[in-house]
Amino acid sequence: MNDIKAKLTEHIKANFPGAAEKDFKGENRIDFSIDKEFIPSVLTYLKNTAGFIHLSHITCVDWLEEGEFEMIFIIWSPTDKLKVFIRTRIDREKAVMPNIDMIWRQANTYEREFREMFGIQFIGLKGAKDFLLEDWEGPPPMRRDFDTAAYAKDAFFERPGREDALDVREEIIKRSREEIPGFAKKYSR
Amino acid sequence: MSFFDLKGTLKPLTALKQFGKKPHTIEYPKVKKEAADRYRGFHFNDLEACIGCGNCSTICQNAAIDMIHIEGIEGINGDSGLRPRIDHGRCCWCALCVEVCPTGSLSLTKDYLYVSDDPDSFLWVPGIDNPEGKNNLSFTSDEQSLNDFKRISMPELEGMERVKSFAEVVLGYNEEQAREEASRCISCGLCTEACPEHMHIPEYINAIATGNDKDALRIIYDNNPLPEMCGKVCTRRCEDVCAIAVRGEPVAIRWLKRYATETAISSDITREIVNPVIKEPNGKKVGIVGAGPSGLTAGYYLALRGYDVTIYESNAKAGGATMYGIPKYRFPIESLDKQIEYIEKIGVKIHYNTTVGKDITFDKIYKESDVVFMGVGFPKAWTLGIDGEDAKGSMQAVNYLHEINDGEEVEIGNKVAVIGGGNVAIDAARVSKRYGADVTILYRRRVQDMPADWEEIEGAEDEGIHIVPQAIPIKVIADKNGKVTGIEYLMAEMVPDERGGRPKPVAIEGSNKVLEITALMGAIGQQADYSFIEGTEYEGKIKVERGRIVVNEDQQTSDPKVFAGGDAVNRTADAISAIADGFRACKAIDKYLIEK
Repeated sequence: MNDIKAKLTEHIKANFPGAAEKDFKGENRIDFSIDKEFIPSVLTYLKNTAGFIHLSHITCVDWLEEGEFEMIFIIWSPTDKLKVFIRTRIDREKAVMPNIDMIWRQANTYEREFREMFGIQFIGLKGAKDFLLEDWEGPPPMRRDFDTAAYAKDAFFERPGREDALDVREEIIKRSREEIPGFAKKYSR
Repeated sequence: MSFFDLKGTLKPLTALKQFGKKPHTIEYPKVKKEAADRYRGFHFNDLEACIGCGNCSTICQNAAIDMIHIEGIEGINGDSGLRPRIDHGRCCWCALCVEVCPTGSLSLTKDYLYVSDDPDSFLWVPGIDNPEGKNNLSFTSDEQSLNDFKRISMPELEGMERVKSFAEVVLGYNEEQAREEASRCISCGLCTEACPEHMHIPEYINAIATGNDKDALRIIYDNNPLPEMCGKVCTRRCEDVCAIAVRGEPVAIRWLKRYATETAISSDITREIVNPVIKEPNGKKVGIVGAGPSGLTAGYYLALRGYDVTIYESNAKAGGATMYGIPKYRFPIESLDKQIEYIEKIGVKIHYNTTVGKDITFDKIYKESDVVFMGVGFPKAWTLGIDGEDAKGSMQAVNYLHEINDGEEVEIGNKVAVIGGGNVAIDAARVSKRYGADVTILYRRRVQDMPADWEEIEGAEDEGIHIVPQAIPIKVIADKNGKVTGIEYLMAEMVPDERGGRPKPVAIEGSNKVLEITALMGAIGQQADYSFIEGTEYEGKIKVERGRIVVNEDQQTSDPKVFAGGDAVNRTADAISAIADGFRACKAIDKYLIEK
């Protein structure tokens, strides 16, 4: 296993400039971060030459504070019993990714979901615009700056019969006769 | 094909191998299939464990959770009395409410089938409307929770290092630690009810968490003029009821207050940040007896409201028991000076070294002022009441601390015994240790019964102080010069109290032991000193019962012109209760003088 891992690591580093290995204390996994331009070529290499024929998963992490999305492709080799993680960071504002659905056809479904939920554009992606949401006009809902609570407040009506709801902080203030100064209230829950 | 086909006859019998196995078809009578363990169904709330913090309601992105009053559940200290009700029509089973529940009372069950054409029937209270859910839990926060249960540990001096000097033991959080610790707070506000002064705890912690230290200090000064003292030595009843403390370590409310106050390094900076509004002088005079926490608090807030405030203090420094009763390694003198300076800059006049009843009569203060506030405290110690107590080297711990804090030297030798289990006893022991003595604490009950702060007890043990629990002193032994040489005590056994109180120590006969000592300190409690009104007309006018001044809920005594607060009034006898008394008295005095 370690042999295969070492050989693969060496090859990826030699052929794809900027590929950085990420430490992982697991047996059957190697982890790389790589520039987004190299994503199709590294995946093609891994599928056609190295035997990683199975696309397990594609996922996305919203690093809001850093202004980036992280795309992660997880692929699997049934012969070597080895998983490879390929990560890449893209700009959050201009979120564009190369399309890989010619490598694995099923990637098309993932990519349509990312387009709808995160607002990531894939160059040359075909398929209906709507995926799960119908006639969605607002910001992509899986982005972390999407305010779910505000959306729910706008979208759904208030059910009658819930008017007796109380605020915990106010209930305690009332009981202990605490007087909170006006400027402090913005820090209350 | 032969007439007798052996294979064809026997083959059907192979079906017998299925005999006794569980059928794959639907069983009769029909057995209900159970949902998988990870299935997320309706909520269940353990109403006993729930404290009504409302964190579930706050986190819910769909606004599906309301906090409501439930009949039969009363709000008490540490419980808002409210319980969550869930609109299951809005719930999306994300279970964030479960993951943020600090007590772990809220969980999801495997029960997910519910059909009704009445939309209102989807609105119900978990735990009340589905009591059977208790035995059917699926998703709980037992294994992982989004709450951070571990406190950021406070950097402090190591035990054997601290006994070498009076350097402050606790070093304080730095900015990063404070922000991280403040972020653990869920802002429920249950703590504010436990605080006698009802400080705005969630608000100032939130201000620290978001990096607004100045706002935090301003919020703190809204109702506490001695916050640095509280940040260092408060009895912090708030932390006992902290929602996070149910399953973890409470948010370090006291240390966070300390952090906020230490960001203002001088009284001028404090004033610049707090920037209080001081009203125009209204010409009314208030006289205050005693510059302890209650007197200073009443004085500070009355001065802000435009009153002419004069405090009479018998000692050379203000602060009362916080100045003279607390050792300097817990509460350094610079820290107190900074706060007193700030209060004086606001306009409170303090006459030091002025004992009421000796240097000035109470009558004079009473007649010159529109209102008098008494924050006289409990300066006199109870004596042990055993033989030989007046030997040389036998003293009261509170007097010892007073003299040491005054900068005097006290002869204690190298073997000290302290009698008692309160904070005064521990303080006296730890101070004696710093003067190089071997210290033993004798306490009548068990260590877990000691009224002292557990951190103080641990601190004492770290510093090598020996604690002998269940020891009842019976006699002080002195040599022929009248100098104390030993203390004789009996060991006690704990007997359960028939009336349901805490177990009582009963001496075991013949278990006498003698401890060789060079000094003995009694620390079994204190009492008031009302000699300044004894024999005057005020003795009858100001009612005193069992050693405490009687006040109404506005801190007003039986003489309407006299208000009182602090240890001489309340039963809790700590600084924060004294501050609360002073603040309440300030509001009442303001009202009283305006209405007059």
